Amino acid sequence: MAAADAATADDAKDIGPPARLPEESARPENGGPENGGPENGRGESGGGFLAWMLAPERRGPLLVAPAVGILFVMNIFPLLWSFGLSFFNFRANRQDVPDFVGLRFYERVLTDDKVWERFQTTALIVGSSVILQLIVGFCLALLFAKIFPLRRILLMLVLTPMMLSFVSVGVFFKLYYEPTFGLVSWVLNSFTDESFVLLATPAGAIAGIVVADAWMWSPFVMLLVLAGLVSVPRYLYEAAEIDRASAWRRFWTITFPYIKSLLLLAVLFRTIETFKLFDIVYIITEGGPGDATETIAVYLYRMAFQFFRTSQSSALAYIVLFVVIVLTNLYLYAVNRRAQEMQ
Amino acid sequence: MRTTTRGRTAGISALGLLAGLTAIPASAADITITMAAPDWPPTRFMKEHFDATYQSPDGHKTTLDMDFIPWPSFYERVAASLTSGEQKYQMIVTDSQWLGSFVEGGYYKDLTDLIKEDPELTAIMEDLHPVLVSAYSTYPHKTREYVEEHGFPAPDTSYYGFPQFPDTYVTFYREDLFCNEAEATRFQESFDKKLPCSYEDWQDVDWETWQQIGEHFRRAKGEPLGDGTADDEFYGIAYQAGKGYDFSTMAINAFIWQKGGSIWDETKEPEGQAEGVVNSETNVEALEQYLSMLPLMPPVAQTGQMDIFVVQDLFMQGKVAAMIDWVGLGEPVLDPATSTVADKSAFAVAPGTRKDDGSIDRTGNIGGQPFVLTTWNSDEVVKEALNVVKWWLDPATQKEFVANGGQSGLKSVMADPEYNDLRPWNRAHVEMLPWQRDVWHIPEFFELLTQQQEEFDKAITGQIGAQEALDEVAEFQQELLEDAGRIE
Repeated sequence: MAAADAATADDAKDIGPPARLPEESARPENGGPENGGPENGRGESGGGFLAWMLAPERRGPLLVAPAVGILFVMNIFPLLWSFGLSFFNFRANRQDVPDFVGLRFYERVLTDDKVWERFQTTALIVGSSVILQLIVGFCLALLFAKIFPLRRILLMLVLTPMMLSFVSVGVFFKLYYEPTFGLVSWVLNSFTDESFVLLATPAGAIAGIVVADAWMWSPFVMLLVLAGLVSVPRYLYEAAEIDRASAWRRFWTITFPYIKSLLLLAVLFRTIETFKLFDIVYIITEGGPGDATETIAVYLYRMAFQFFRTSQSSALAYIVLFVVIVLTNLYLYAVNRRAQEMQ
Repeated sequence: MRTTTRGRTAGISALGLLAGLTAIPASAADITITMAAPDWPPTRFMKEHFDATYQSPDGHKTTLDMDFIPWPSFYERVAASLTSGEQKYQMIVTDSQWLGSFVEGGYYKDLTDLIKEDPELTAIMEDLHPVLVSAYSTYPHKTREYVEEHGFPAPDTSYYGFPQFPDTYVTFYREDLFCNEAEATRFQESFDKKLPCSYEDWQDVDWETWQQIGEHFRRAKGEPLGDGTADDEFYGIAYQAGKGYDFSTMAINAFIWQKGGSIWDETKEPEGQAEGVVNSETNVEALEQYLSMLPLMPPVAQTGQMDIFVVQDLFMQGKVAAMIDWVGLGEPVLDPATSTVADKSAFAVAPGTRKDDGSIDRTGNIGGQPFVLTTWNSDEVVKEALNVVKWWLDPATQKEFVANGGQSGLKSVMADPEYNDLRPWNRAHVEMLPWQRDVWHIPEFFELLTQQQEEFDKAITGQIGAQEALDEVAEFQQELLEDAGRIE
């Protein structure tokens, strides 16, 4: 294939018309079984079935076929299957024959107070975490937009958290908050005799999760904002300086317009991701104290894999998917808007 | 399931020659028994001992392929395997509470007839402690009293499991502190009673004394402790108070039962109610008593994250004078590589509720796990799996297991005069075992447990009181069990 590609490139350079593989060049224009011609693949010179398979019009579909196959088996088929299940009364741990129940589980999920409480908890965590990530990420971006010694090394260190696994971050923060051995309590004990028990109250537990999530993902916001900051032409700042524009005015009229689309992207991307937050919550608090930090993803997991309400959890999963699709469309809208602005 | 029979055809003539001369069975086969097992010492020992000693009485070449699964994901992994239909396991170490879910799902094999037909298995069932037969084997659940009254086989009873590791919780305590003269004197002055030191002293410890121990040993950093000073904040007592899995239910059930209260009783289906029983005055008092001691424990108790492993860690790190935990977590406490109190630890029965006649009720929730067979095995594999059961519950294997940190459920083994000396907690385990009862076994078990754990967690973290928590639990259970047709 490498040789064929090289030939294709050379042909394109030297001749101009669309390049062809040697096998294809040898084939009559009206030939081949797909055109109803007299010859079949076996009759082609030097090719046979392989050449027929590698014909340009088939090469593309052939190359993407494995990916499509895997996508179908691992993603689309389970999606369709679970969609079907959501209309039946099925529990994975029972042998009962499932009955068709129509939209009963969608109705049950949408009228379940617990589901709405979990959505509210999720919204609270998402809102707090994304705001904190924006603030920290933005400040870090402003810092790293300037040139200073060891900048590259520090930048690399700051980016480390988002490369860690969720489980590592969860375990790390759980130990960090532990009131007897934990680092936070240990440091605070230097100033006070009281143990610092962050996770004992709903507000404290939510704060603990928000801090852990923001610690992990603020660098991502920083990267996006930093990309916007470095794209601002220097001459605009020079002109503003000549006009004696204040720092705030320089930021509002020059910097902000360049980064606002990227900020919006960061907000939407992080909102979608945080909306699905599971690992960190499950490891740090398991949804506690009580159910104060049980996000919709944790509740969905319990419903599906602990309670074995398979159909009901499928219905809830589709409602969550719908929310994520709406958010994703907002994200795509923001991306398109950014692309238009850049043109 | 992986079994291959070899040499059946070619071996016919050879076997004909050997018949009557040797005991080699007619069809020796390679049999692999894949067993789902939690990854901890009792199952690790089973695998090692099997590899070292097991010989199939049927002449098979049998491999025990243990799939060791970490505890936190054990239920999910087993449940995912069973419900996916992959039929990976021939045997499973299972929590007794899962019996209903996986029996109803058609995954756990009913062994009643096989046990009845086999004198060796029948003898094992008759020798097992009735508490264990009731909790580990019967579904629908039969009480210990029913099992004891009817013997084996009890009428209308199906049997599924055998004890892999029967566990009870006991008191772990620091001998250097509890047997310290200065501490004993201070305790006597404060509470006008003896600080428990010996096993016999601990037999007289009720919850009131346990609470006083908590108050007595609460020390700030730098305060005198034993013959030295506390190098950090120090606490007297700890027991489980965690939101995860069953890490508060197991302790709270003990308080409820000891006071004469009850959880929803599955053996009284469909007349047995949840409302009025689960939130009875007695149960509220019991929960209040459980909650009242949490402020004396390490501050992690206030977060609802003090599970059995955290309690064990706190004790091993020398932060707590006494804890109540499972015997199964005892070995690391005695290992100097993992424990700072390895040479200072002693064991005794768990505290209980003192009755009017002065005796102490120690009713508790059974721990440990049975092991079961799955439904998709060939007759040959079933027969060999039952051979493995016989091997595991053979007195010699059981004694070896106990000497290596396990426990036996066989009355004959526990009655052995050497038994109590095999490991330091054995005497306490033998004394605690008859007090054990079990939580529900029905398929709705996890929903009942999760909701209850959430409400208990709210009470533990001070968001609601005992009455409100139990009212919520009772209302949820009533509704769920009515929907499931278990309450009329």
